[in-house]
Amino acid sequence: MAHHTHTSGSRDLQMARSMCWHCQSEVSGEYFCDRCVKVQPVSKETDYFTCFGLPRRLTVDQSKLEAKFYELSRAFHPDFYQNKSEAEQTISLGNAATLNTAYRTLRDPIQRAEYLLDLEAGSVKEIRTSPPSDLFEEILELQDTLEAYRASESASEAGRTLRAQLVAEQAALEGRKHEMEQQLQRLFTGWDALQDRGDAAAQARAERDRLLKQMRDLLSNRTYVKNIVTDLVATIG
Amino acid sequence: MAYSDKVVDHFNNPRNMGSFKKDEEGIGTGMVGAPECGDVMKLQIKVQNDTIVDAKFKTFGCGSAIASSSLATEWLKGKTIEEAQQIKNTDIVQELNLPPVKIHCSVLAEDAIKAALADYQKKSGDKTEAAQ
Repeated sequence: MAHHTHTSGSRDLQMARSMCWHCQSEVSGEYFCDRCVKVQPVSKETDYFTCFGLPRRLTVDQSKLEAKFYELSRAFHPDFYQNKSEAEQTISLGNAATLNTAYRTLRDPIQRAEYLLDLEAGSVKEIRTSPPSDLFEEILELQDTLEAYRASESASEAGRTLRAQLVAEQAALEGRKHEMEQQLQRLFTGWDALQDRGDAAAQARAERDRLLKQMRDLLSNRTYVKNIVTDLVATIG
Repeated sequence: MAYSDKVVDHFNNPRNMGSFKKDEEGIGTGMVGAPECGDVMKLQIKVQNDTIVDAKFKTFGCGSAIASSSLATEWLKGKTIEEAQQIKNTDIVQELNLPPVKIHCSVLAEDAIKAALADYQKKSGDKTEAAQ
């Protein structure tokens, strides 16, 4: 495995090199064999960014992503495979499904970040994230207020007071969620800039780990806040 | 997907819901969360002479998470610290008949138990150190 260490050098958007399932020639094209023009399955090792010929960055050119997705959706559309062999039908269908998932993941900035963090997980897992106790306390307290509101008579004095309290809480939490998203956006930009520099110095590696941990923490905290907001909205409407 | 009868029972009649004051004598608090689903769990134990005499929980999450923590508090009562360390998430899965997609709820409960025990041990350790 020694020769298999780091291949960050030339990441020039290729599918994993492999043999064409049909003519056994080496496949270097994206999704179709250069020689026999047969459709090739997306390799399991191919990440979603590579699927669309995009660099692995947290800021994505949405129009480019969309255009590429439509182009590939046409290329693998079942209509064009009706008269093809069963193997080609299966492969094109599988590719279409993979690309759908890939597109949905990359289209959303949060899901995209979660996905990229998973790709980089090796180093993220080594970083211990501490649970945000203050936020947890807040969420559980709010949960109590929600319970009290659910149990109260909505027309009563107490019910109205609790409702007003919850409405205020909702606004505050939504504001915080928005702030977290802005902060995430700044981290995304920082991460991309670091990747663009391609710096492998120890300092850059430390910066990389710091950014990954901050993103991980923020994404988690955002999920907690998002969930309680959903619960709030469902309760007070 | 339907919840098992035991999950529904714990969900409708949660045991030991509530909390102790954190800095009270003999209290250990475990606060854990699942970033993937946003569930939050707080589990507390009250220890006297190395035995857990009471346990309480508060959980924000799905029915399985509530049931897992409710069951955990029931099991913790009367156990020694060492016995409590032995509680595994798989025991909770078995007792509640949790489906594969809900196994992480039982993991969260086990983490909460571990965190509460660690917090108690840290606090009582600090005290013995201070007394010496």
